[in-house]
Amino acid sequence: MIDSAYSIEFRDVVQRFRLIHDRPDTLREKFANLWRQRTTYHDFEALKHVSFQVPRGQTVGIVGRNGSGKSTILKVTAGVYTPSGGCVRVNGTIAPLIELGAGFHHELTGRENILLNGLLLGLSKRQIQEREAEIIDFAELGDFIDSPIKQYSSGMYMRLAFSVAVAVDPDILLIDEILSVGDGGFRKKCFDLISDFRLSGKTILFVSHDMNSVRELCHRVLLLNNGEVIEDGQPVDVLAEYERLLGHRVPQSVS
Amino acid sequence: MGELLRDTYRYRELIWALAQKELRVRYKRSVLGFLWALLNPALMMLVLTLVFGIIMRFSIDHYAVFLLSMLLPWTFFAQSLAYSVESIVGNGDLLKKVKIARLVFPVASVVSNIINFLLSLFPLMALILLMRFPLHWTWIYLPIPMLALFLFTLGAAFFFATINVFYRDVSHIVQIILSAWFYFSPIIYSLDLVPARYRWAFRLNPMLYVLNGFRLTIYYGKLPSPQSVAMSLACATAALLVGYGIFRHYESSFVYYV
Repeated sequence: MIDSAYSIEFRDVVQRFRLIHDRPDTLREKFANLWRQRTTYHDFEALKHVSFQVPRGQTVGIVGRNGSGKSTILKVTAGVYTPSGGCVRVNGTIAPLIELGAGFHHELTGRENILLNGLLLGLSKRQIQEREAEIIDFAELGDFIDSPIKQYSSGMYMRLAFSVAVAVDPDILLIDEILSVGDGGFRKKCFDLISDFRLSGKTILFVSHDMNSVRELCHRVLLLNNGEVIEDGQPVDVLAEYERLLGHRVPQSVS
Repeated sequence: MGELLRDTYRYRELIWALAQKELRVRYKRSVLGFLWALLNPALMMLVLTLVFGIIMRFSIDHYAVFLLSMLLPWTFFAQSLAYSVESIVGNGDLLKKVKIARLVFPVASVVSNIINFLLSLFPLMALILLMRFPLHWTWIYLPIPMLALFLFTLGAAFFFATINVFYRDVSHIVQIILSAWFYFSPIIYSLDLVPARYRWAFRLNPMLYVLNGFRLTIYYGKLPSPQSVAMSLACATAALLVGYGIFRHYESSFVYYV
């Protein structure tokens, strides 16, 4: 362990995507392109030399306009992308709450999906069996748990996905715009759970457009613009700066 | 290669769950469910036996057993490829969201098909008994050709799954390759029937060595020679080394192309 005071450390991270205009997807296009100009592309830097450290137990909000690189930071942290430059260090297990339910299969029952999704998130079969009752209980699915999930309502689907993801009981939680899960009651439960995670000393990266939850949950906020961190500080200050960036007046906080 | 073994072991539960998922989904919502894994090959064998036993009579004795001894392993190979060629692209959404060992998908496709293959051996045994064909003791030797076939298939699965990420034509091309490969492999005929001057070309086909052990043990009741065993394992290992090598080389960029 190198400097385990930090849960997440980004040093000069660059994430480059090659945007190929009309990438040849099939061989025919590839051959056709041999006679024409070579494929044109441009490199797009989703993250430009991003550096920050998150100490263990801190909840950090990430705000910014669409396309500013918020989700890319989460995916680099989760290890989905290997950064093109710089260095990322993560100490601890991660639960990515990014686009929930990615591994679900519609023909399988809720219970079968819990197993499959839990394994995909890195749990062992035994761990999943131990936590199964808890997951089903938290998702409020009752008898539906043994029905194929294609019969679920979208709320039930999201509740199950959320419950499996938090059952991983990670050191680091990556949250991307998911507090819109389910109805008011379930949303409150998720919110409470995240608050619990926060109080129990887990590290949280929190991407949201909901200023109120960012203000309420986060110790610190990063403001991203075009792949760069342009503000890093207290929620009140950074959010005010963000509002200015959006060209909005600062709205009254609702409480 | 050590990495392949280590990761396969490490993710064994996930691979098994994914393989089970493929099987479940395949048989879900059918009245007979998993019984189809037995019925399907049984019915196919019945048809083949009738056709070749009554209508098209070959000089080969008990032609149905002769054919099936290689057709079943071939079917495993062909089905595995048909599934695994799509295994990375089909799970693209997942790869973009969760950090996950990518090798689990092609491996799970092959594993789910090997279960089907193993199940299809039961109807074959039943057929052999029904036809009063001897059930040779050499069956106990089958795990060796199975190992070679499994490794060979895995190598091909890695290879085609990888290139399909970059060129989606591959999933169509695979079908054509498979049918050509089928007819140029001595499955429905034996190598002796090939004119002697072309035989050298047929010997370049690795599938010949991989499948050979099945027919020898099931139909002829003989054990393959050590050279033939060595040859089949060599072909299988080479295929796996090449296929997995290519997969490893490109796997980190899959996420940008799926």
